[in-house]
Amino acid sequence: MAHPLTTCTFCGAGCGLHLETQGGRIVGVYPSRSHPASQGRLCVRGWHVHEISSSPDRLRRPLLRRDDGFAEVSWDEALAFLVERLGKVVAERGPEAVALFCSPRCSNEETYLLQKLGRAVLGTPNVDHGAGVYGNNSTDVLARLLGVPAATGSIADLDRSDLILVDGLDLARQLPTVAGRVIRARLRGARLVVVGERSHRVAEHADHFLQVRPGTEARLYAAMAKVVADRGLYDREFLRSRCRDADAFLAAAREVDLLAAAKACGLEPEQLEAAALAYGQARAAAILYSTASPRRPEVVEGLVSLALLTGNVGRTGGGLFPLAEHNNLQGVCDVGMDPDWLPGYRPAASAAARAEVERRWGTALPARPGLGAAEVFSAAEPGRIRALWLSRYDPVGTATGPNVARVLEACDLVVIQHVFRPESARYAHVILPTTAFGEEQVTFTSTERRVQLVAQAVVPPPGVEPAWKQLTLLARALGANWSYPSAARVMDEIADLVPFYAGISHAALARGHGRQWPCTPDRPLGTRTLFAEPADAPGRFQLVPPPARPPEEQGDPAYPLTLVFGHSDHYWNQNVLVQHSETLRREHRFLLLDYPEGFVELNPEDAKSLGVREGERVRVLSAEGAAVTDARITPEVRRGAVFAPFFAAQVQTLVHGYRPEAPALLHVRIEKEVSAP
Amino acid sequence: MKARVLDGVDVLRVVDVLRSQGYQVVAPFAEEGGDGAFSTVTDENRDAIALHLPNPLYPPKRFALPPIEPLLEIRGHGAETTFRPIVEAPRVAVFGIRSCDVAGIGHLDRFYLEGAYRDLYYATRREALFLVNVVCTLPGVDVGEACFCPCTDTGPAAREGFDLQLMDLGGGEWLALAGSQKGEALFQEPFFRRGTPEHLARRRALLDDLRTRFKTFTSWFAAAISRISRGEVSEGTWEEIGRRCLECGGCTYVCPACTCFTVSDRPAGPDRTERVRIWDSCALSGFTRMAGGHNPRKAVHDRRNRRFYRKLSHHFIQRERSVACVGCGRCAEICHGDVGMPTVVELLRRGPTGPSPAANGGKA
Repeated sequence: MAHPLTTCTFCGAGCGLHLETQGGRIVGVYPSRSHPASQGRLCVRGWHVHEISSSPDRLRRPLLRRDDGFAEVSWDEALAFLVERLGKVVAERGPEAVALFCSPRCSNEETYLLQKLGRAVLGTPNVDHGAGVYGNNSTDVLARLLGVPAATGSIADLDRSDLILVDGLDLARQLPTVAGRVIRARLRGARLVVVGERSHRVAEHADHFLQVRPGTEARLYAAMAKVVADRGLYDREFLRSRCRDADAFLAAAREVDLLAAAKACGLEPEQLEAAALAYGQARAAAILYSTASPRRPEVVEGLVSLALLTGNVGRTGGGLFPLAEHNNLQGVCDVGMDPDWLPGYRPAASAAARAEVERRWGTALPARPGLGAAEVFSAAEPGRIRALWLSRYDPVGTATGPNVARVLEACDLVVIQHVFRPESARYAHVILPTTAFGEEQVTFTSTERRVQLVAQAVVPPPGVEPAWKQLTLLARALGANWSYPSAARVMDEIADLVPFYAGISHAALARGHGRQWPCTPDRPLGTRTLFAEPADAPGRFQLVPPPARPPEEQGDPAYPLTLVFGHSDHYWNQNVLVQHSETLRREHRFLLLDYPEGFVELNPEDAKSLGVREGERVRVLSAEGAAVTDARITPEVRRGAVFAPFFAAQVQTLVHGYRPEAPALLHVRIEKEVSAP
Repeated sequence: MKARVLDGVDVLRVVDVLRSQGYQVVAPFAEEGGDGAFSTVTDENRDAIALHLPNPLYPPKRFALPPIEPLLEIRGHGAETTFRPIVEAPRVAVFGIRSCDVAGIGHLDRFYLEGAYRDLYYATRREALFLVNVVCTLPGVDVGEACFCPCTDTGPAAREGFDLQLMDLGGGEWLALAGSQKGEALFQEPFFRRGTPEHLARRRALLDDLRTRFKTFTSWFAAAISRISRGEVSEGTWEEIGRRCLECGGCTYVCPACTCFTVSDRPAGPDRTERVRIWDSCALSGFTRMAGGHNPRKAVHDRRNRRFYRKLSHHFIQRERSVACVGCGRCAEICHGDVGMPTVVELLRRGPTGPSPAANGGKA
């Protein structure tokens, strides 16, 4: 096979593609026609993944900070420095002064070893991925209500949905392959409901575009549940046999005040009712939401309840799809890169769960859950963490808040493992160059639980080692008895420890397009739909009744608008992959040429009443702070909402400061900025 | 045009001859997952060349126009700056190129060589290129569900543009047609023999039958060309097409007839900058950046309008003497929103099917 079949490593869709190589370089990409999720389609990022490994900006040798900047050193020298410095921090400050964070783009193998290095070798519970709090909200709610925090269905089966509900993400930008599935399903006659304060490509296809007032999604889903309950559109048998608290849920749902909910959401009651009826009457209804969208746990609970109420969980073409915008967010959580969860979603707070992992690893584990990235980077007093490991993760370039730099500055050791030199490298003591896409054989787990191999197509540049190998060498240098001759052996250990990966090995994954977990010896080909049989579920599903008195938003006339942070067209402009592809850099930055200092989006009617015109400077004021930026006037954002892209970090920080649970919404007012004389 | 007959077992000897003449031969191979691709032939893989398989998604256009092509090397600074053109002419023979892709290269030729400006880089590469066309004969294998070359009059058997054409007549016999003197020179090889009128009759009968086996045969360009050339396509139709475009660029990357590129200077090591040209795509937002940046939706509709105007309007057809579509069907296969060429031709013919779903305020 001249052109290895592999997996795109950008978003959670995990599209199949082939790499064309020539003279040890990756020179081209084309899609795999038979991949179940992508079926011959790629997005602009997939079509350009090959441009990254050939970038001349690659890191090629370990770098060690000296007085006059970074010096290239040997791997032995870099490891010796790490052993000495890590040992010093642990000895002086205790293991809890060490934190290890990775990007949700890291492979399953390197991530598993990173959290094991933290927990088992260094003895710190502080391990996390840097994908943020909303992903954790989704994980926690799904684990609590369904028992398994993952998509219940398969992307391919969206072909068999007759209703698809998309909540709050610009699907065509974030997971274009999934958006294509949705649009093609719509063209074939499936109904489409889109919820969100901002319009986008998929919303333009909606039968029901519910452009709700920001932050009212939980009210919307409770009201939809009421319509389903009142009209008897729920699945009686499914509720009786497979759910807990169904009667309480139905009773509470019937009490929801539809008119009040519609008013709170900023919708016509008929509009809300029509969407709810379409949902309730669908034979198979799928719910898609993003684990990166600012959604509070109540919103996810509302979505899960709607899916359970209609018996869609476990049904082909129906179910819940918590979509991962990063290629391996699902995988890094599966293998335990989360302060609250050990590998296989064993709760870190549970002594029994810890004991099981301790027995397998033959060593004691930290006795409590640790700190996550959001907590560490928002600490009021930096200095609690003194050694920080950042694996392909660039908090300075991607996370928000003024404290990131202060936290890094307070460290005695900052280690960066990366393909390129990220912004955080300013604070690094050691930089370890890692392999790029196509240079190592490792696995990623897509948003539909599909564990897939990425093939090695070319050899890495001399001096560059795979991250899993670097971690193995370091653990051995620290005295641990680690022996992983290959990434495949790391996966064997994961399969041994994570029950739903039990049937997975690199050899098995090399046939076809990966396996969807649970993949176990008695189910070696994996599982297309979770919970298809009652016996597949870990127990009964939990319904969460909507509150009898939902909190009414108390509007403040001084701050009449709602500021929403979200993803927009060029969210990925800071991504290293995007920065190292000619085409992608242009594609994801073009708006920044017009708005070099960022922007907030205003509806034309709001802009008119404020007297603000396109491109003018505005001041965004909240009760807690203010920021100055440019106005982008667009009908895509609803009246009363102000949309700020995540990348405009300065806006976010200035307006509300940084907290671990950064509020999804903030009440603000906009003033036209009068330029200083 | 001279014709010869050869035995099926000898077909790959054409590859051997070309390799012995110093050509780097690329040919189609089956890849994992039912895909196919053009790769360089070596002693090891020679017997694995696939004569019948679905046309690879990644077109052989790249051997005439690489996705990233170095043009110039720039060294030094200020007065010391030196420029060195990088003009490459690898002797490449594409064995097994389908008729649609031959027509695509014909289109590139007219664009890059026969306009007001003759492109040196393309010309050099193209002169060194040898094309062995293999005619699609097996419905369901060579001819895919999305193929529609009868509608663009580019296949299944190319009439020109190849050096040599090979066609499986069945029964272990293949027919060879020479399309150039270089191609005809190959007929000196002993495994070619003279054919009979019966061979040509079999060719005709096979092609007549094959033309009825296409799944997509209603891509009726005439009405679409007429509408687009007269400016009769409504805004609603362009909006419908634009709404379904996810701006992946795939349709242009797989199109055998797309010609657009951008030029970029990029660092290529210490004190060395490389000027490259890179395939560009009118589907991408950076292709024609709208001043002011607000109203990106309108921009998408305009860009989609541009693609199909460029391919189907009378103005461009007259300039390049052909529709810039060769009926390969790849854009239909890779499109997320099903707005490949056959669908668009249908939408242009019919006009929009009704008000857009969002236009009624989202109320069903």
